Amino acid sequence: MKKGTADISSNIGAMKRRSVLKGMGGLGLGLAAASSGFLASRRGAAAAESLNYMCWEGYNAPNIIEPFQKAKDVTVSIDLITDSAGGFAKLAAGASRDFDLVSSDSPWIQRMGPAGFCRYIEEADFADQFAEFYPQFRAPFEPLAFEGKATGLPTRWGWVGPTVNTKFDKLETWSSYAPVFDSAYKDKICLLDWGDWPIMPLALYAGVNPYEELDAAALEEVRKVLRAAFKNTRAIVADLAVAQKGLIDGSFRALIGGGTYATSALRMKGHDYIQSIVPEPKNGLKQGIIWMEATGLIDNGKNSQIAADFLKYIVSPEVAKQLAITDATCNLVPNSKAEALFSEAEKKALQMDYMWTAWDNSQFHTVAPNIDDMLAIWQEELAAR
Amino acid sequence: MRIEHKSWNDPVLVATVAPLALAMVAFFLIPLLMTAVLTFQTTQYYRLVWTWDLKIWTEVFSKPHYWTIMMRTVTMALVCVVLTVLIAFPAAYALATRLKTFKTQIQILIIFAFLTDAVLKTFGWILILDKNGVANWLLMHVGFPPEMLNLLFTPAGTMIGMVYNLVAYPMFTIYLSLVRIDRDLILAAYDAGASRIRTFFEVTLPLSRPGLYSGAVLVFVLSLGAFLEPKVLGGGTSPLASELIRQSFETRVNWPLGAALTVVLIAIGALMLAACAAFALRRTSSTGRPA
Repeated sequence: MKKGTADISSNIGAMKRRSVLKGMGGLGLGLAAASSGFLASRRGAAAAESLNYMCWEGYNAPNIIEPFQKAKDVTVSIDLITDSAGGFAKLAAGASRDFDLVSSDSPWIQRMGPAGFCRYIEEADFADQFAEFYPQFRAPFEPLAFEGKATGLPTRWGWVGPTVNTKFDKLETWSSYAPVFDSAYKDKICLLDWGDWPIMPLALYAGVNPYEELDAAALEEVRKVLRAAFKNTRAIVADLAVAQKGLIDGSFRALIGGGTYATSALRMKGHDYIQSIVPEPKNGLKQGIIWMEATGLIDNGKNSQIAADFLKYIVSPEVAKQLAITDATCNLVPNSKAEALFSEAEKKALQMDYMWTAWDNSQFHTVAPNIDDMLAIWQEELAAR
Repeated sequence: MRIEHKSWNDPVLVATVAPLALAMVAFFLIPLLMTAVLTFQTTQYYRLVWTWDLKIWTEVFSKPHYWTIMMRTVTMALVCVVLTVLIAFPAAYALATRLKTFKTQIQILIIFAFLTDAVLKTFGWILILDKNGVANWLLMHVGFPPEMLNLLFTPAGTMIGMVYNLVAYPMFTIYLSLVRIDRDLILAAYDAGASRIRTFFEVTLPLSRPGLYSGAVLVFVLSLGAFLEPKVLGGGTSPLASELIRQSFETRVNWPLGAALTVVLIAIGALMLAACAAFALRRTSSTGRPA
């Protein structure tokens, strides 16, 4: 009896499978026809020129890319990066021949100079753009210079310091990185696993300036401070959403290594009790870090005018404002004229009233000579956790 | 059954095998060889320099932390194999013998869970394992103290994610072995006076070994490359080899080091599988039964 039931049910199953497969076949043919029509229409609408653009998320927003494509009759092909170093390594491995421009963390734009694939920009050609920047970013802009030549233009910036939920902690508590090592904060700290970003502030707290050439003793101090921080840390998290969730619900009292990059989008969504601050200088060493993203042209032999036009476009006030406010992150931009375009709520979310205080108390995030040594120490200490 | 012996002079055989052999050479052997070659190079200013020296291998063998992570990876993979098989076997057994009425529905559910993106499944566990998550909420509502479970950002959290994401593999391989067992053999064992438990250990378990072994191998190999679970659920408390390799390739832009660590991981995995295969073969020859 059971066997008979099984046979009937298997026949029904087979019928159903056949009808489902037939349906799927029909759907597949329909999709194929639709996609071929779509591709044909795309081909028909092919632009006169193309631009290959490597960038972080946010730079690829349709409201940024599409108006440029339309205005210049150009197709912009995007290659998103999730890691500045990885993007640079790809270019260094030969992809620089295929790309026209790149938006990445500023040290990696500067590194294109010594790596030999930077198309330097003539500051005179970009005089109008520099004139619109805040004085701190105007030419000659040292952090993006190599042998006196400009490797790119700054596009977004912010600062790295403790990111705090003020519902749980007073901001004054975080006027220093001391709570990271305080047993009262055991298992309440989150380090963001973003390459060198969490290493630099902790090195500064240890009295080591990571942007200078470091000897063995200084590297040992970096090792000690990382070891101590790991002992007290609840999690080392790479995903921004996970870190932000923990910060909002109070399971993390502070995020280290994310700064405004981890804060502003939350503040924009109404969590204005989340703030990123810069600690007070310690023994004369500024404890904050100014990070910056930049956009540079790549020397791929084409000398594309469209690429240079895009560089001017991406730093223009209106586009800079759109680049500042994206779904994933919200950041400051160097164009002073863009400031007038922000609403009061946006200015508050971006902590614009605090930005020059942060600037004055910070190091600039540039190429660190011993970065590989510090990353190796991070790996070693993480393994021993 | 007649076994037909074929010669490599047979053009049909060569034509049949050639596409697969070529694909294996092009997409497996050559990349593997290139990875091995990469380990003898160095990087200078984030660019590869063709130097042909042993600098990277010296570093790999002189820094104990690489081996700490490799050993942790192997240990986690072995624990994951044990746990997945322990969970998968009863489930597959029930599916093959007890839940025949709902077999199709259950299989569809398992396939859906299997096909759901691992990223989604892994992030979903955060909502369950978090201090303020579903698991603690449920426990609190049945009388346990608040925040009793603290599994997120621990090695146990990583293991839960790994087991959950991989358990479907042995479940299917074991199920396929179980449904192929001739029911007459089990009935014969009962007729001979064997109890249910003895029949299970003397007939069912030995005959399900092919599925058990292939499921275990699949889980072991996939666990060696586990990346998402330690990253999302481990919170840096249990860094495994894949994250180490990613850091070396991407964050440190040290491709030769990343390649060397990849070769080490592949070698460890291959050696362990070879040892297991040898063990299984010895067991087969000593018992005379298929392993």
